[in-house]
Amino acid sequence: MKKLRKWSRILHRDIGYFFIGTTIIYGLSGIALNHLSDWNPNYSILVKHSSTSINLENTATIKDNVLILLDDIDSRKNYKKHYYPNRKTIKIFLKGGSSVLVNLKSGDVRAEYLKKRPVFYEVNFLHYNPNRIWTWFSDLFSASLILFAITSIFMVKGKKGINGRGGIYTLLGILIPLLFLIIYL
Amino acid sequence: MKKIIFILAMAILVFACKTETKKAEDKQQQVESKTETPLLALGEFETKAGDFVNKEVKIQGIVDHVCKHSGKKLLVVTDDGKVHITSDTRFNDELQGSEVSLTGIVLEERIDEAYCLKMEEDNIKSHSEGKSNKDQFDQKKEHIQQYRDQMKAESIDYISSYSLQYVSHTEIK
Repeated sequence: MKKLRKWSRILHRDIGYFFIGTTIIYGLSGIALNHLSDWNPNYSILVKHSSTSINLENTATIKDNVLILLDDIDSRKNYKKHYYPNRKTIKIFLKGGSSVLVNLKSGDVRAEYLKKRPVFYEVNFLHYNPNRIWTWFSDLFSASLILFAITSIFMVKGKKGINGRGGIYTLLGILIPLLFLIIYL
Repeated sequence: MKKIIFILAMAILVFACKTETKKAEDKQQQVESKTETPLLALGEFETKAGDFVNKEVKIQGIVDHVCKHSGKKLLVVTDDGKVHITSDTRFNDELQGSEVSLTGIVLEERIDEAYCLKMEEDNIKSHSEGKSNKDQFDQKKEHIQQYRDQMKAESIDYISSYSLQYVSHTEIK
């Protein structure tokens, strides 16, 4: 038992150190992605309204006219593509995921600028498993979480351990998900 | 030394020949795939897709939207039409606004009364659990009603909705 306790502490401590960064990555992105219906976790969106008198009907000079509009509201260098979703609207795509919608009749311009959220964009990118190597690494991390749970049972002896306070916390932590399953499943 | 150089030269020669053969094979395959995969204009996708269910087709258009939730859905558009794309892997956000030539397998989804009822049930559940707001709930409700109105107006039991299962794409610069 003494040996098991010793090795539980060593593994819990050292693997814990190794995965501090990964834990923060998954913790942050977990919160961010849990609230997808409340916000866009990857981009902050800035909407700007204005108006234009430039002719943006589908004519031979449309691309030039779109570029003139972009000179006014953004920069022609950011132009990507445009199309007409319906007869009275043109949608212009800009680099970086931003876009501009113009009502051809009224000239109302709605520009939606997307800006990557620092830190969140990067941690979410990793959370979504960008490639196979990361998948293996995150599998290793997940296996380590299981190991942390198991080693924590043996780490501390006495009334603060699994036979005392630790046991109560463990039971509570198991009961909460069980209750959710009973109520919602 | 001479022997080593000779062996190396032979190895390079064999490798070069093999690469050439592979290139030629690839080229041939490309030509074959070009002749085999029909190109559907998005303007006629809804009317023609029915002839290609479970078959590969090619489309061309602008990526209007990459699903922010899963990242595995695209909406590809032109002035004349649109098509939804689903994939097993995530798309890069940067694809939004790019013109693409995309190959996919045509999928058919039949929307009938049972489907509408299921959508209705899911919509209520999702709203009651706070997963969708009032606007999203109303939009979906209206959408379901539109399906019912269309079936009634055309006296049909189901509406076929077509989408593409992603296979590959190339960006058109």
